[in-house]
Amino acid sequence: MLTSPPVSSATPHAEPSILQASDVSFGYRSRSTQPRALAVRNVSLAVPRGSFTGLLGPNGCGKTTLLKLLSGVLPPDSGRVTLSGQTLSEMSRRVVASRIACVPQETHPAFDYTCMEMVLMGRHPHLGPFQLEGPADIAIARDALAATGTVHLADRPYMTVSGGEKQRVVIAAALAQEGDVLLLDEPTASLDLGFQLEVAMLLKQLNRDRGVTMVLATHDLNLAASLCDTLVLMRDGSVLTQGATRDVLTPAAVRRLYDVDADVDFHHRAGHLTVVPCGRLRHEES
Amino acid sequence: MAARSPRLIALLTVALLLGRAGTGASQSTARAKQDNPQRDAARIVSLVPALTEMLFAIGAGPQVVGVSSFDTFPPEVRALPRVGALLDPDTERILTLRPTLVIVYGSQQDAAARFERAGIRTFSYRHGGITTILATIRELGKVTGRNMEAERVATELRAHIDAVHERVRGRPQPRTLLVIDREPGTLRSLYAAGGSTFMQEMLDAAGGRNVFADVKRESVQPSHEALLERAPDVILEVRAAGVGAKEGPDARKAWSSLASIPAVRNGRITVLVGEHLVVPGPRLAQGVEALARALHPEVFR
Amino acid sequence: MKSPEAAPSDTSRFGGNAPATAHADTTSGTLPIRSRVALTMGAFGALTVVACLTAPLVGGTPISLARALDRSIPFANNVDAQIFFIARLPRVLAGALVGSALAAAGVVFQAMLRNPLATPFTLGVSAGSSLGAMIAITFGATFGWGPLSPVPLASLVGASIAASLVYWLATRSGRAISTSVLLLAGVTLNSFFSALIMFVQYVADFARIAAAFRWLMGDLDVGSFEPLWGAMPLLLASYIIFALLPSSLNLLSLGNDAAASRGVDVARAQRLAFISASMATSAAVSIAGPIGFVGIVVPHLVRLIVGVDHRVVLPASALFGATFLVACDVLSRTLFSPVEIPVGVVTALIGGPFFLWLLVRRG
Repeated sequence: MLTSPPVSSATPHAEPSILQASDVSFGYRSRSTQPRALAVRNVSLAVPRGSFTGLLGPNGCGKTTLLKLLSGVLPPDSGRVTLSGQTLSEMSRRVVASRIACVPQETHPAFDYTCMEMVLMGRHPHLGPFQLEGPADIAIARDALAATGTVHLADRPYMTVSGGEKQRVVIAAALAQEGDVLLLDEPTASLDLGFQLEVAMLLKQLNRDRGVTMVLATHDLNLAASLCDTLVLMRDGSVLTQGATRDVLTPAAVRRLYDVDADVDFHHRAGHLTVVPCGRLRHEES
Repeated sequence: MAARSPRLIALLTVALLLGRAGTGASQSTARAKQDNPQRDAARIVSLVPALTEMLFAIGAGPQVVGVSSFDTFPPEVRALPRVGALLDPDTERILTLRPTLVIVYGSQQDAAARFERAGIRTFSYRHGGITTILATIRELGKVTGRNMEAERVATELRAHIDAVHERVRGRPQPRTLLVIDREPGTLRSLYAAGGSTFMQEMLDAAGGRNVFADVKRESVQPSHEALLERAPDVILEVRAAGVGAKEGPDARKAWSSLASIPAVRNGRITVLVGEHLVVPGPRLAQGVEALARALHPEVFR
Repeated sequence: MKSPEAAPSDTSRFGGNAPATAHADTTSGTLPIRSRVALTMGAFGALTVVACLTAPLVGGTPISLARALDRSIPFANNVDAQIFFIARLPRVLAGALVGSALAAAGVVFQAMLRNPLATPFTLGVSAGSSLGAMIAITFGATFGWGPLSPVPLASLVGASIAASLVYWLATRSGRAISTSVLLLAGVTLNSFFSALIMFVQYVADFARIAAAFRWLMGDLDVGSFEPLWGAMPLLLASYIIFALLPSSLNLLSLGNDAAASRGVDVARAQRLAFISASMATSAAVSIAGPIGFVGIVVPHLVRLIVGVDHRVVLPASALFGATFLVACDVLSRTLFSPVEIPVGVVTALIGGPFFLWLLVRRG
């Protein structure tokens, strides 16, 4: 088990990293297991500003936990996470939230909020303690809904719309936070192919045109290949390797991650690498 | 809230206690032989404090072998074994005392049935006014074979009450509020004697007029509004046992919020402590006299 | 489902294939939040004022307002004035304060526990109050403190013990409170205290049982402003905190992580919510005993009218809770006059069918 990741030659020392994890570890507390099983162990990674970084790995590899650590929602047991050089745990939650927005896998509100209300909640970090949203905030929220193609759902209760629509509304809420960084956990998991592409295009656009740094956790290799310029491969809580997608996404990497024999080729029409699985391997030393 | 069922039980038992317990026919089980009452009542267990007092008053004290948890009078009962009370009669304990007669509450039909199955006579307590109390004394006399003593006690009791009544006859009868219980320090959860209880009759005999005489219930829970509306001239608070020496000042302070009631304005609030005031037994006449002294102090000077 | 128009996207802030902002103006049908807050507070506030002004005029004994306010009649002889100022006015005020506190606490607990079925009594605060009061009633406690007489004082002590226990149990395992741990701790404490209450009732004698039993049914007949003064510090403190909570409550109801990622200090918000709602509940129970259903009927009714945004629901519930309980108290005083039905019974008789109706409505 590697404790420090091999740094690829394409490590972006050239661009400053906006979000950085330095030797971060975290374990969920459980009374039954002593000592605690670490979900994330000694992870160091740097998310270049303006990049589209993917956290790739099988289920249970710690991607979701790492995303939570990167957003500051979970405090690391050891090591630290910094945003533009400042340690996250020393910053107020409000300030962090105005810079980092999250799109979790699932959102279950306890009450019957409308989609518009869900998106407006994304404005919270920008409002003062007693401040209510004003016309400017409402305009931002409407634009966010528009960007994800969900304007027509504004007044519908969130819980009555389909899974894919829910996910788009949550993305809209994250957009309304107007952060520099967007952390997404399997954002296209419940979307139809058409909307997968739409959301992918939207994210790509935001990243390219507005410079929003994206960190996407997924186990979908092709999605990662299509969107991400930087990849961080994880397994069992540790980083196996990180670097530019074209350098990192190799058949050897796929074998190490998934025990799967696959072909990785550049698809000209799509314009990015594609991974085609060809067969399952027995677990053996690579 | 989780305390539902015990509340229901409490409500039922209180209702049964305060309502007409043991309706109907003869108080003692007719099945038993009446030929030798003294033998049949050789060993008595009493669950009802008032009737325990009656037994001792008619000379059947030595026959009492067990009393309820709430018995305190006469002093001899302190040495006797305790067998529970209305809610928790300890039938096992009672049976080990080998009684020949058990005095139960009218609502304790289950327990009574158990005793009768064991061949033990039961005497069922009936709640009522002064007439009922006198009748009960005489019944107990019959059951224990002490008819003469019982007759004497009943007659004396009646005479004493009548004597008090005579003394206050003709005096103007003040509108009286008879308070049985209330939350200390306030007037909340206030229970007043209603129009159908032996306390009402005690008050009548003592020369007072119950402000709630028209409410045909054992007890009334008046709101502040009702108290203001009834506006009693005299407030008598009766309590079985005192909590401390500050009874009077505490009562005056609690009533001060309704300062416009005539009784409060004129300082006619009296706290009376003692079981003779609330136990429907042979000491009733002392209770009546105590009430009369509080209502008409000038007569008893 | 309409497919998004392929309009030029440069006018939209976030890009994507979407209609420009100008078209979006017509999509939302609800009023903006600022108007809604102002409107609901105005409407519900007016309702509360009307209720509080008319309730003292209604009751078992007919009184005339003119006579009650007539200063020429000496107070000692003016029964109408006595009844109005001593018996009814404090009672209506108590109803308003207790109803408001219970409704607001209900909203806060529901948001904090992420469960619309939570009540102010779910976490054991009321069981602690009841135990304290039971003990004071049963053993005839006589020690008061200032404006607080023995039973309200004991009920406050019981409530604080219960709340502290639940708080300690829930915050032991780290910074943010897990709602399931909180719920478990509260329910466990509820059962434990209820068992102790049963035991106390068992060892009590009859007169005390009846009095204790009566207290559990709720009673707004305070008779003076003293008990209200006694509870005022707690009520004020809790309302001040309530004013800070609503937007955090919206976010908390999405989940701890979702709230944190939108800028809420989750641990702090949970603590404030728990402390304020517990204080309000304790104060309410110390004044009038545990009156049920207010803390759950009022928030649900209010949500049916104004939506679920807590910035509207919390103030509206606080106001409507006052109206609701004052109205229930009027019913309790007048339905079977001169006999008074305990107000807790009235709220239950209204609350039960209301919930059945809600259930049927949802299908």
